[in-house]
Amino acid sequence: MNPFALAYREQQQLFLFDKTYIAGTLLKVGGLATLLARFFVQFFWNPAVAMTLTLLLLALSAFMTWVYVKQSWKDWALIPLCVFPSVIIGASLSDNSLHFDYLTAILLVQACLLVYKAIKTRKVFGALALTVILYFTAGSAAVIFPVCIFARDLWKKEFSPSLASLVAVAACGVIAYLSSGVPTWSEAFTPAAYYDIDAELPLVHWAGWISIPVVIMACRLVNATHLVKWATFAAGVLLLIPAFIHAGKYEKKIDKEQPRLAYIFEHYTCNEDWDGLIKACRKAPWLPRTANYLNMALAWKGELAENLLKYDQRGADGLVMTTSDRAVDVAQAHIMFAMGNVAAAQDVAFNTVSSLNGFCPAMLKINAQVELMRGCYEVADKYISLLEKAPHYRAWAKEQRGFLYNDQAVESDPLLGNGRRNLQAENHFIMYTNPMTELFPILDANPTDKRTLEYGLCYLLLTKDLNSVKHFIEDYYSAPDSPELPRIAQEAMVFYSEYSRNMEGVVPFGFDWCYEHGVQPDVVKRFEEYKKAAVAGATALRKFRGTYWYYLVHTEI
Amino acid sequence: MTALLAISCGGRVNVSGTVDSLPEIFPDYRDVTVPENIAPLDFSYSGTGKCVLTANGKTIRSRKGGLFVFKKSLWRKWMKEGSVQMTLIVKQNGSWVSYKPFNINVSRDRIDPWFSYRLIPPGYQGWQEMGIYQRNLENYTQEAILSNDLTGGNCMNCHTFRAGDPSKMVFHARATFGGTVVVNNGEVEKLNTKTDSTISALVYPYWHPSGDYVAFSVNKTFQSFHNHDENRIEVYDLASDVVVYNVKTHQIAWSPLTKSEDYFETFPTFSPDGKWLYFCSAKAVPEMPKDYKEVRYGLYRVAFNPEDMTFGDDLELVYDAPAEGYSVSFPRISPDGRFLCFTRHGYGNFSIWHKDSDLWLVDLTDLSVRPMAGVNSEDVDSFHTWSADGKWLVFSSRRDDGLYTKPYFTHVDPDGNATKPFLLPQKNPKEYYKKLMKSYNLPAFTTGKVTVGKRKLVNVLRNSSGTDVTVR
Repeated sequence: MNPFALAYREQQQLFLFDKTYIAGTLLKVGGLATLLARFFVQFFWNPAVAMTLTLLLLALSAFMTWVYVKQSWKDWALIPLCVFPSVIIGASLSDNSLHFDYLTAILLVQACLLVYKAIKTRKVFGALALTVILYFTAGSAAVIFPVCIFARDLWKKEFSPSLASLVAVAACGVIAYLSSGVPTWSEAFTPAAYYDIDAELPLVHWAGWISIPVVIMACRLVNATHLVKWATFAAGVLLLIPAFIHAGKYEKKIDKEQPRLAYIFEHYTCNEDWDGLIKACRKAPWLPRTANYLNMALAWKGELAENLLKYDQRGADGLVMTTSDRAVDVAQAHIMFAMGNVAAAQDVAFNTVSSLNGFCPAMLKINAQVELMRGCYEVADKYISLLEKAPHYRAWAKEQRGFLYNDQAVESDPLLGNGRRNLQAENHFIMYTNPMTELFPILDANPTDKRTLEYGLCYLLLTKDLNSVKHFIEDYYSAPDSPELPRIAQEAMVFYSEYSRNMEGVVPFGFDWCYEHGVQPDVVKRFEEYKKAAVAGATALRKFRGTYWYYLVHTEI
Repeated sequence: MTALLAISCGGRVNVSGTVDSLPEIFPDYRDVTVPENIAPLDFSYSGTGKCVLTANGKTIRSRKGGLFVFKKSLWRKWMKEGSVQMTLIVKQNGSWVSYKPFNINVSRDRIDPWFSYRLIPPGYQGWQEMGIYQRNLENYTQEAILSNDLTGGNCMNCHTFRAGDPSKMVFHARATFGGTVVVNNGEVEKLNTKTDSTISALVYPYWHPSGDYVAFSVNKTFQSFHNHDENRIEVYDLASDVVVYNVKTHQIAWSPLTKSEDYFETFPTFSPDGKWLYFCSAKAVPEMPKDYKEVRYGLYRVAFNPEDMTFGDDLELVYDAPAEGYSVSFPRISPDGRFLCFTRHGYGNFSIWHKDSDLWLVDLTDLSVRPMAGVNSEDVDSFHTWSADGKWLVFSSRRDDGLYTKPYFTHVDPDGNATKPFLLPQKNPKEYYKKLMKSYNLPAFTTGKVTVGKRKLVNVLRNSSGTDVTVR
């Protein structure tokens, strides 16, 4: 299991301490399993906690299997065997399309098995009642229940309870199907109930279900045949080896199929841990999506232009890579928000909130903030109220509540005020044909937005469009109160100045223009050194890595 | 003024002053007119502090959050009395003061007992959960007719009934289990409605009063998100036409007057006698979406012969909205055939995203046009349907928060005069609507409960390959 993949589950739901939410969830088939899963997953915002909690629940599952099969507390030798299903279940949980309810439903089944074990009389009635309760609280995992009863009772030649339970689970499944409590027969009787809606369930997720009764039967066999304890223990441990190998291999397979890197990036982004995000992105900054997150982290730290070329940049896609499907692209929402294009961020964030299973907290936060920026306080209040019901987001939400119906507070807040000013840009449709077409009007409306300004400048620098960079500097860096011209832009202009004087078809301009627009004399001096190094060759050029000249001449985009 | 009121649990309220205004309450039920069979209109006082309410001589203590809950038996008694006068008394600075009283007026015109709607996030492209629901207006029962958790999370839309008949319904499902579903007296049929001769699958439906035909538009629709505009979203057509579908033969037909490349025709509706097909039509503009603000729809009609599914030769202009600088959408004619209610707005056709959208009436006896005074708000007032007897109108409004549409009901008298609309009642409406993260979409009355089973609908959508619609 990957702790960051587990942590990403937290961003696909929002557990609410709210009676309507709780009642609404419980009323669905498998509702208790869902509710428990969501309760646990709410703590997964910390990957270490996510991992620890999941391991504890898997250990609990193993423990309950052992308690179910043991005949006395001295049956310690059975423990490795009982751990086997938990390893298999843990492996399945690597697949983020498999909901965490898969595990909580199994725990409910195991809890019912323990209750059943404690029943001494009227076992048939007990099995029947437990099956019905189990089906409607845990869902299709209840199918395991009669099989596990059978696996244990087989040795006592007691078949009535398991048979009654089997009939009951079949009846519950039919009722659930006919009453549309579940969409298909698969969801009524198979692990598909815990898989993404209408996605094909990989066969591997049956293994967790099958392994529990198999292990129960094996343990009972061991008890019945009075095998030597150490031999049983050793056999159990040996059996765990292929289980762990399976888990490892499956993890690797899932690693290739699911966006693990994105889970890591999202974790740091949602927790606004920009240094952590930069560190995580360092491994492959040339990949466009990685570069998107990296540059966003730099932007939030106010270092985008300053530190842009400290990393291996490969063109403007590294700032923002847009896709046509804006429905569930959380990264796009974060990046647009950082860029100051708050309307575009909201477009994606709103779609994402509605598209995911329940609510995506990070997207809900963006929506709440954009509604505050818009002054749509009634709508912001809805989102804030929702987040207030989730313990991890309560403090943040309460802080935002202070902005409701308070224009002055919104306008004086650095983030919200800036966003509100950005929204004053001349209206246009958000098309994503070119992010710059959307940034220019925003900058015209709010030239003081440093993040938007640097995103705009860096976009043009990374596309190597020096003529546009020059115009951009004239438009947005020429006023007396403009920020200092970033060093990479100074380098670009020094280069372009020299280039303009030597190329036909380009309007020439001298270093005077550069000095007037914020280029420092030492940059011009260093450019002379660069030119000499360029003639000398690669070794001499090494010390110019990180300069715009190096990017311009030696980086392919 | 001093008055002593006894309230339940032995409490006493000594009213020592008055406030010369009406109290702020949510929903705003002050001086609304309601049908006698409506569910209790619970509401909350929007201010702070303790409060009590006197209503037709009965004193009621508020619950948490200023909520007033009315017992069903008491509410029914009030409804029989014909009017409820309510006075809200609040504790301010240690003294009890009473606001000006307001009335809830009761109409003897009963409202259709059920109405249906789609619950969907008011979003732009994404959804995980949506569904078509029905609600009993006489109590608070809500049931899903169909929810998309049963059909692969797909989109479903445009549910429409024949004159409020719950046994005749049509709706569309999209994506994996897509198709148009026709429910006809318990029979459920799935249609594949895209043909080589039409630009899209069938879209906006309207049943012919005979139940033998359904008029549809076909639209090439796009949606864009505004950067900075009071209207967040723009939904526009690049092309659209109007066709009529024959329920029995599975054929569609059209007139050159309803299917022209130079015009965008959409939102068809039949007259109650079934002899006219009304629709909205706009002259196509050179460049979309650049010119989206230049698209303005007028209201037209063409004769329709239900005997042989043929159309008249003349296109009649009913309301030339573009000449006045406006656009028309969602024409719906009252069952008596006298009034046509439509949404009027500045441009385009998707009025639910236009804050200037208001409800207007055409008096079809003289084609005079007027706004529905007292019904419209500063925000969106759009999609509407008439009750079976034409005495009530339900419409979607964004008046409360500007984003999430809610259903409002208004009484319309024979001269077209409408009363102040009231919001769909809920148990604890303030909390309910605040928590609700979905919009009420396409509200439509039905004279009874839709009884077709969800399983039947799901099985048809999931398992049926569907019947291909052909062109006559």
